[in-house]
Amino acid sequence: MNTAFKENWLHKINPSLKLLTISFLFVFAITIHHFNFMITFTLSVSILFIFCTGHPYKHILLFLLPFLLIFLSTAASMILFGKGETTLYKWGILHITEESLYRGLHLGLRALTFAMMGLLFALTTKPVQLFYSLMQQLKLQPKYAYSFMAAIRLIPIMIEELQTIRDAHKVRGVQTQKGMNSLLKSIKSLPIPLLSQSIRRAFRIAVAMESKRFNSSNERTFYYQVGFSHYDLLFIGYFILSISLAYLFAINFPFFPVSDVRY
Amino acid sequence: MAYITSVNKLRLKFPDEKGLLFKDLTLSFKKGEKVLLLGPSGCGKSTLIQVLSGLIPYSIDIPIKSENIQIPNSWGFVFQDPDSQFCMPFVDEEIAFVLENLQVPREEMPERINELLDMVGLQLEDIHTSIQALSGGMKQRLAIASVLALNPDVIFLDEPTALIDEEGTEQIWNTVKNISRDKTIIIVEHKIEQIIDFVDRVIIFTPDGELLADGNMTYIFSNYKEELKKYGIWYPGAWEDFKRENNQKTVSLRNDNEVHLKNFHGYRKKEVKISLEEALIHSGEWIAVNGQNGAGKSTLLLSLMQLIKTSGDYQINEQSIKKLADLQRKAYLVFQNPEYQFITNSVFEEITYELKGGKEINNEYFHKKANDLLTIFGLHDKQHQHPYHLSLGEKRRLSVATAFIQNPKLLLLDEPTFGQDAQNTFKLLELIESERQKGTIIIMVTHDLNIVQHFATRVWEVKEGRVISDRKKNETKKKVEEKAYEYSI
Repeated sequence: MNTAFKENWLHKINPSLKLLTISFLFVFAITIHHFNFMITFTLSVSILFIFCTGHPYKHILLFLLPFLLIFLSTAASMILFGKGETTLYKWGILHITEESLYRGLHLGLRALTFAMMGLLFALTTKPVQLFYSLMQQLKLQPKYAYSFMAAIRLIPIMIEELQTIRDAHKVRGVQTQKGMNSLLKSIKSLPIPLLSQSIRRAFRIAVAMESKRFNSSNERTFYYQVGFSHYDLLFIGYFILSISLAYLFAINFPFFPVSDVRY
Repeated sequence: MAYITSVNKLRLKFPDEKGLLFKDLTLSFKKGEKVLLLGPSGCGKSTLIQVLSGLIPYSIDIPIKSENIQIPNSWGFVFQDPDSQFCMPFVDEEIAFVLENLQVPREEMPERINELLDMVGLQLEDIHTSIQALSGGMKQRLAIASVLALNPDVIFLDEPTALIDEEGTEQIWNTVKNISRDKTIIIVEHKIEQIIDFVDRVIIFTPDGELLADGNMTYIFSNYKEELKKYGIWYPGAWEDFKRENNQKTVSLRNDNEVHLKNFHGYRKKEVKISLEEALIHSGEWIAVNGQNGAGKSTLLLSLMQLIKTSGDYQINEQSIKKLADLQRKAYLVFQNPEYQFITNSVFEEITYELKGGKEINNEYFHKKANDLLTIFGLHDKQHQHPYHLSLGEKRRLSVATAFIQNPKLLLLDEPTFGQDAQNTFKLLELIESERQKGTIIIMVTHDLNIVQHFATRVWEVKEGRVISDRKKNETKKKVEEKAYEYSI
């Protein structure tokens, strides 16, 4: 992300640890079937997401927009067509029951937490730091790490190139012709020049890397030493504490009179 | 005297080609020599230095056979394309990548990085600068810095300035001169004006990859000038010779076109990126657009082609231009990379694409016209080939040919001679010149001062998003030409 932002404590967490923790929370979120707990769990994730990424609130809200859409679409399909006994509303094939309403909202929240956790990771982790950490802590082989880093460098170049190719084709008159056939042709004509450039570029970079004595079998030193700090404890501590609190709160002071949403 | 790198009876074959590239080539280099390899495109110069460095066959899988290849103990390789030799996003990380490979301890890295950047004259405020933000010349100097990190005895340079502007080229060669003491330097390059006094040995190859000559600069240029000319290698005075041989061909002006611009602005993301106060351009004019990297030259062409948002008055032959569709058959932009503009599977289809407008052509007139163009551009034998299979010079010619078949009134070109050898450059310029004499207005972005000097009739200078100067070159010469037009009309 190239948008301006403050670096704060979430950026300083060891990327491998962050990756593992968030993957664990992904799995954990799937195992939650208690609706009230899901609400409080979502809250505890969203506090970090909204207040701690260091990005301006305007951007955060913008990032959230597509995910609200995911929330609505996931929830709506389950709410409108799900099974249940206590009918709230029925019109044609639409059949909203109490059970399907809760289940839909539950699924929607789950999708939302997935999105927030994923973004939380992406917004606070630099790719280069992530791969250095993966090499140092999780013993990822350098050849994979460096190929990924080289590939990430290629993405902006490719986007720029795509725009240029589209312009170049416009000049040739690809888009000025009408009809389905020429539309198809114009879509078909983009990937070949783009891929042929990228493949050649990737090959050249690979040769250049080897010419600089990159060798996957050798030992290597690291420019960035990625270690652990007390922020890592804080990060894990936050989740342990907030999730326990979330659980206790949901059990003792339920918002809604349901427990398990599975039907 | 001990040799530092050599090949003995080298044979090499590219998988897709019939013959051998080298037939028992034997060549050796002494320590500390500065050598320049010259030859026409495709003669194997680049391949040879890849063999000498061991990139072939260890990194690039091409079968070779030889009695002996001596690869230097430590070497570095600077490649042609500044955008595809880095694997990290930031300057410091890129050099650190090399240091990591050499297992330099982490504590020593920052100091070493600063030292290396100093050596190549890259003074950055912060070494953690994005590589993407550097100019081409700076990128190549960074490439030299990361090669120096290897502490090489031999440095191979494979056309390091082919894609770099004049200013960057000078910086690169100054850097090479500064760092070259005690090192062996082996250079492959077409543009040799700046390194003539630097190299002490020149080797010329024939088109089939055989040795033609081997000696010092003076010897080569006094004895092999004809061959250099024939092979399209730049030599001092190439432009003068070309102009002398191809002069005084005045063709009558067939059309009279006029482009009028007033308060013209081009926008990107709602910001003004280029502006031009007023200009009136007539047939017979060839405008060279100059300026530094990032000044807005290409943006100017995109605006004139209506590929980005523009405002102001823009008229061609008194017809107002507001969008791309208004420019059909009026203007055509040739992009820097010809491959971007290819959309069909054969050279012939490529040329006739605009004519048939998506329909099959049966019309004899079109066939004839297409065949004429193919002949003029020297592509007749290749008309059934896939455009991607052409050589670099042929691709460029094809992309210009597709422009000509539309008979545009205004022809826009973005660095059409970049990275081309002399033969292709002259051929292309000749074709554009004849188009100019037919009445097409030429606007060409170029870094090459020789084109400005020998071909352009008018120069626009772009600086920080504005056309700051507009001068007609050589008024007297133009008047003579205009007179010629008058008489012929």
